[in-house]
Amino acid sequence: MRESLLAAVLRTKFAEQMAYRSHFIISVIMLIIGDLVVPLITLLVYKSGASFPGWTMHEALLIQAVFALSKGVAFPFFFGMVGTTLGHVREGTFDLLLLRPRPVMLMAMITGFDPDDFGRLFSGAVLFVYALSGMSMPGGGAWLQFGLLFLASVTMLCAVSLFLSGMLFRWVGSSRVFDIFDAFTSFGMYPGTIFSKSLQNILTYVLPIGLIAFVPAEALLGRSGWAGLWAVLPAAGFLLLGMVYWNRMLRGYTSAGG
Amino acid sequence: MRRLTAVISAIGFATYKEWAAFRSHMAASLLVGPVMFLVQVFIWKAIYEGHDTLNGLTYQQMLTYYGVASLIHYISFDFADWNLQMLVRSGKFVTFALRPLPHWLFALAQKIGHRSLALWVEVLPVLLLFIFVFGVNLQPAAPGWALLSILFSFLMNFMVNYCVGLTAFWLIRAEGIRRVFLLLKDICAGVFIPLSFFPEVLQKILFFLPFQFITYLPTRVYGGEYELAGIHLSLAQAVGLQAVAVAVTALAMALLYNAAMRRFTGVGV
Repeated sequence: MRESLLAAVLRTKFAEQMAYRSHFIISVIMLIIGDLVVPLITLLVYKSGASFPGWTMHEALLIQAVFALSKGVAFPFFFGMVGTTLGHVREGTFDLLLLRPRPVMLMAMITGFDPDDFGRLFSGAVLFVYALSGMSMPGGGAWLQFGLLFLASVTMLCAVSLFLSGMLFRWVGSSRVFDIFDAFTSFGMYPGTIFSKSLQNILTYVLPIGLIAFVPAEALLGRSGWAGLWAVLPAAGFLLLGMVYWNRMLRGYTSAGG
Repeated sequence: MRRLTAVISAIGFATYKEWAAFRSHMAASLLVGPVMFLVQVFIWKAIYEGHDTLNGLTYQQMLTYYGVASLIHYISFDFADWNLQMLVRSGKFVTFALRPLPHWLFALAQKIGHRSLALWVEVLPVLLLFIFVFGVNLQPAAPGWALLSILFSFLMNFMVNYCVGLTAFWLIRAEGIRRVFLLLKDICAGVFIPLSFFPEVLQKILFFLPFQFITYLPTRVYGGEYELAGIHLSLAQAVGLQAVAVAVTALAMALLYNAAMRRFTGVGV
């Protein structure tokens, strides 16, 4: 049943986008360009003769490629719920989701599905191939570790979208949550080794931003070994916490009745 | 002139009061700004290892560049493009077409009010955080030139964004184009990285585009020296060039605005 619901939403969303085809194409291009800004900076830094100590240009770009890939999966499916919550709560139309005979969280996620965001997957894939072209091909074990950690990365972004979306039940209509997301996740776009030891610990255990790109990229480069797979646990824990938080915040939603 | 000043003050004050009700929206910058800056501190500290200067900038100058660029971003922040496109698309622009005041002036007055609020909610606290928490030297080399340059940056950002907003009179849904353009504007303005890091050929092109006058030039003027594409200018020359660019952009905006008004149709107008 849920599968058909998802299919129906996907069909509707694509049809909606096709009504403004040029806008859709431009939006996809925009997301591709947007995701390539940080890699462009990395490229310019390396071309000027500087570098992140211990990281070649292709290795540093690999982190940013994994980041874009993860966003390419998480944003179309999960992150739209942030915009959905923002808009519906502000307009007072979130009640429409509450009335439907499906779990509210699922409805918020599914109605926020955004096909534009698949552009990120393209930019991530291009960057990923480019980064890999400059290094020796990883072995099967590294790919397996990477696959598992990539799942953890997507899980992590899903959890973040739950936290941001949940926040919007109280902080009504604030689009600044996107800026907050960009600010905090920017730590995850660079080699973790450039940060101080204490910050590295925070980014690994407290606010596992490093899990989004740095940890999976390190696994693919064969730098972390199987022990690195522990990172799947904080991701799962963070997702669980996100779900609890979102539901608690939903309970505080007062609609127009106060 | 006195009446015009009174009108601008009234619109600006109304916008100030309207946004003061949503000051937590602006206050988010107190978290976002320092966090973004902290990332830059770590990035450049790592990059500068074993280097005294990169493309003519020392590590301290680089931090000052990002600090000043952030503050200029807060001062000149603008969403005239979004607002205008929303008004055109929703049909609400018709109410402005009937007023005895060009919409661009109304939008500029709104921006003045909005950014006046930002001065104490965003700019001042972030400035203090940069100075006292990060220890960045944010003392302008020549305060007069820096202030003038930031004022031109304020106007330039408004006019460029307003021109983007005016495309809504020709396009049905211009949101995508607006976002692409604004991103390219930020890249070409030096928001993400100083323009001196770009290849020589690109620097020469960027020198002649209006975007450097929004962030790169005022930031370098603030720091006391200007150089792009191998061209060194004194502070007076740099700000003079910026003034010329602002005048040319104002002319382009006026022409585009008049063309848009000729194209505009609304019920009863």
